[in-house]
Amino acid sequence: MGKPNDLVQGTLDLLILRTIAPEPMHGWAIAKRIQQISREVLQVQQGSLYPALHRLEQQGWIRARWAESETGRQAKFYSLTAAGRRQMEQETENWNRLSAAIDLVIEGA
Amino acid sequence: MRWLDRLRMRLQMLFRRGREGRRLDAELEFHLEQQIAENRAAGMSAEEARYAALRSFGNPAAMRDEARESWSWNGLDRLGQDIRYATRQMLRAPGFAATAILTLALGIGANTAIFTLTHALLLSSLPVRDPGQLVRLAMDFHENEHSRNQPLSVPFMQYIQRRTQTMTGIFGWSTYDFVLADRGTSRGVRGAVVSGNTFESLGLHPAAGRLLEPADDQPGGGPDGWAAVISYRLWMEQYHGDASVVGRRVTVTDHGVTIVGVAPPRFEGMLVGEHPDLYLPVEFSAALNGNEATLHDPMANFLTAFARLKPGVTRAQAQAEARVVLPPMLQSLIPPEVLRTPQAHRVTLDVDSARTGWSTLRLEYTEPLLLLQGMVGLVLLICCANLSALLLARGSVRQQEFAIRGALGAGRGRLMRQLFVESLLLAMPGALLGILLAWLAGPWLAHGIHQQESQSYLNTRPDAAVLAITAGCACLCALLFGMAPAWAASRTSLEAALRSGGRRAGSSSAGARRVFVPLQVALSLTLVVAAALLGATVVRLRTENSGFRTQNVVFWYADFGRLIQQKGVDLVPVYRRLEQRMEEQPGVKAASVVSILPFYGWAHDGHFTTSGDAQHAATETLDINEVGAHYFDTVGARILAGRDLRNDDSDRNSCIVSQRAAALLFPNRPALAGTLHEVERNPENGAMVVRNCVVVGIAQDTKYDSVEEAVQPMVYFPITEQSRLVGLFLAIRAQSFDAASAAYRKALHEVAPTTPETDPATFGQLFSDSIAREQLLSALSGFFAALALLLSGIGIYGLVAWSVTQRTREIGVRMALGASRTRVFVLVVRQIAVLLAIGIAAGGAGAFFAARAVRSFLYEVQADNPLVFGGAALALVLIGLLAAMLPARRAVSIDPMEALRTE
Repeated sequence: MGKPNDLVQGTLDLLILRTIAPEPMHGWAIAKRIQQISREVLQVQQGSLYPALHRLEQQGWIRARWAESETGRQAKFYSLTAAGRRQMEQETENWNRLSAAIDLVIEGA
Repeated sequence: MRWLDRLRMRLQMLFRRGREGRRLDAELEFHLEQQIAENRAAGMSAEEARYAALRSFGNPAAMRDEARESWSWNGLDRLGQDIRYATRQMLRAPGFAATAILTLALGIGANTAIFTLTHALLLSSLPVRDPGQLVRLAMDFHENEHSRNQPLSVPFMQYIQRRTQTMTGIFGWSTYDFVLADRGTSRGVRGAVVSGNTFESLGLHPAAGRLLEPADDQPGGGPDGWAAVISYRLWMEQYHGDASVVGRRVTVTDHGVTIVGVAPPRFEGMLVGEHPDLYLPVEFSAALNGNEATLHDPMANFLTAFARLKPGVTRAQAQAEARVVLPPMLQSLIPPEVLRTPQAHRVTLDVDSARTGWSTLRLEYTEPLLLLQGMVGLVLLICCANLSALLLARGSVRQQEFAIRGALGAGRGRLMRQLFVESLLLAMPGALLGILLAWLAGPWLAHGIHQQESQSYLNTRPDAAVLAITAGCACLCALLFGMAPAWAASRTSLEAALRSGGRRAGSSSAGARRVFVPLQVALSLTLVVAAALLGATVVRLRTENSGFRTQNVVFWYADFGRLIQQKGVDLVPVYRRLEQRMEEQPGVKAASVVSILPFYGWAHDGHFTTSGDAQHAATETLDINEVGAHYFDTVGARILAGRDLRNDDSDRNSCIVSQRAAALLFPNRPALAGTLHEVERNPENGAMVVRNCVVVGIAQDTKYDSVEEAVQPMVYFPITEQSRLVGLFLAIRAQSFDAASAAYRKALHEVAPTTPETDPATFGQLFSDSIAREQLLSALSGFFAALALLLSGIGIYGLVAWSVTQRTREIGVRMALGASRTRVFVLVVRQIAVLLAIGIAAGGAGAFFAARAVRSFLYEVQADNPLVFGGAALALVLIGLLAAMLPARRAVSIDPMEALRTE
């Protein structure tokens, strides 16, 4: 079972950015969403998720806001900033290039 | 606006850390709740759901830390934590903290005090424009150590200025004592006569008015008459910084002078420690002497000469040029008969850096200061070793704490950093206290350095540069003594420490601690041997026979400046009358007059021959002393053959020679009744003048310059010629100091009522001053050695006490099994004896090098004196065993039952 920690450095950042791109989400939901979309392949550990979220926030790519969650409890919702959106696009492009290259090598070998 | 976001985040993280921390907790808690809810939805019981969630969550404390890791200012935050924590640790063990801080204060204080002196005397740059460009020009006659660093004459400096391609702005400097009279008050001030271009060449700007200019340095003065610049200090002290002082008319040594300006605040002259308060042009000195000729006499070397290197020129280039310029300079300026002398062939013109100014104190004190610096460095090392051992001992007690912190997720680096912060927290107050100690010791040290020149003044208050060095020193110490404990702590094994309950752990750090005892012992032995050698030297010097009797002999300077000013006063009868009246006073055994005081470190010499053709004969250079009748009786030296000089004109052409001089001048015939010729060059016309005298007595050899040097041959002339009688000393030997003082006062008031009284100098004082350097060195090294011994003793005591505590149970078992108290005692002491032996063996090697280092300061003490080495080693063994004895006694008194029961 692959964990984001095992992936290329910075991949978790990209996953987070993409996940919250459509709408603001809290940490729990982000982890769940990544798990769902990856069909349970990617399990984001809390130990990696929250430090990553705080790091992204420090860098100004995401912004946090306290709001009421679905269950009526106060939760911290993360959303993308303009800089974060640019960062996301750039990282997506990098990722695509990298994975295409890896595909080529695997196919050709 | 990403930068705005980031800025906002940063500020939030800095100022609202607490709130952000709580929010992080809330966020993580929310996550946990979600997980529990999900687990319950999957059908688990409430309790099961909670445990499962917690399990999947991992270590919340560690995660919290990791999330905080990404915040800005985290380093600062942790530093704050570390400091808070370290402070708590310190307050919990105040005895330990006080010991550590005191130890460091002594070590750092000693270093700061010595470095302050080193800095003031050797290192600090002059506060002038581009001090690195300044050089000093000096003659070296290559005769002995005193013939170096000789000053230049005005014609020499003018000649060099005309020829040089490498230097500009050559200026001369000479210290002068003036009497400054202003509005009815008069006081003596230390000053200097300087060339007119001095301040311009130094690139200085006045604090008020203007500085001296070449136009001021003319015969009779410049446009303002005689112009004077006062020091900033004098301006503040005497004139309270009043700007109206510019243009003020004052009297300087009976000459009308105008104060034209104030020197800049930090400028204290070119000669370190001289600290002039009044600057006048060189021409003024000619006016004071009433002799303009000295400024044109190439042989009148009285100016310490400085110059500035032209841009891009190195000192070596200037030195090369000086070598080329010197021969034609001598050729064109020096009279031919002087050119023929051996000195003229040997002389060189040296160009040395003057970035830090110049001081004669440097000749004497550079090596001692470097030596002391080395010693205090060793003391500091011993301090660090002591503290290291102390901290290691504490570390072993704290192992459980480290283990718990480790278990809670503190990394090895974090633990080490924590310990370093604790070390720093000990080092900083130690450094502050040390600076205070240095501050207090400064004046005392400076006094020790220039007892002879009581007027000179070294800046002995630690300044910014010194404080920076001290702070650096403290950090280095913290690193040094914190290293071993931090290393030991970082290697703490969790399980072992937790299981053992903290009692038996720490065997690894015990090994490290044992290293420190031999280290301390070795360093201490090195210091003790050096100190013992220096101390033995002082004892040797004090008991050395100088040829004088030293009981109740007192000297006074005869300040006849005013009498000389009154033209036509013949001083010879004045001295003779004084001598006679002093001898007639009650309690006086003998009284006389003398031009060169014993141990005053000053002499003048003449060229002598016994050949009939004195004009062309080879001459011997001998010291000359002018003395009145009964001089030898007064100072307690014997006349071995012939008679004393008489106090009248019948002895106009007589002289007395010392034993050594007699042997030198009359190698194969009796000196008594022989004729001696003194050959002297007339400064006016260069002609050779021969003065003949008949030897009427031979005096015992005595030492004049210092006790250490070999006896110098000396010729004694009677006080018969006016020209030689400026500044003689009156000497009295009496029943007591008071009787001598009373006799001096009575005779002086009677014979020369206008002459001011001067301060007495006893023979003992002169003698002490002459060995001031050795005494200072011996006192300080003795103090440092004692400090080292004390610290080593504490270190050994600490180690033994700690090991006894550690082994209480073992000792209890041994005693329960029948070990006698003696056996236990031996067991404890044997361990330290081995360490002592190792330390002394290593220290022997260190002491060997220390003895070599101090060899040049020794007088009739062998550097490899086995008594000194053996004695020092014995002292260390005794102190070591004594220090071990106290805790060993405690070991012996352990009650086996008690020891086993505490288990």
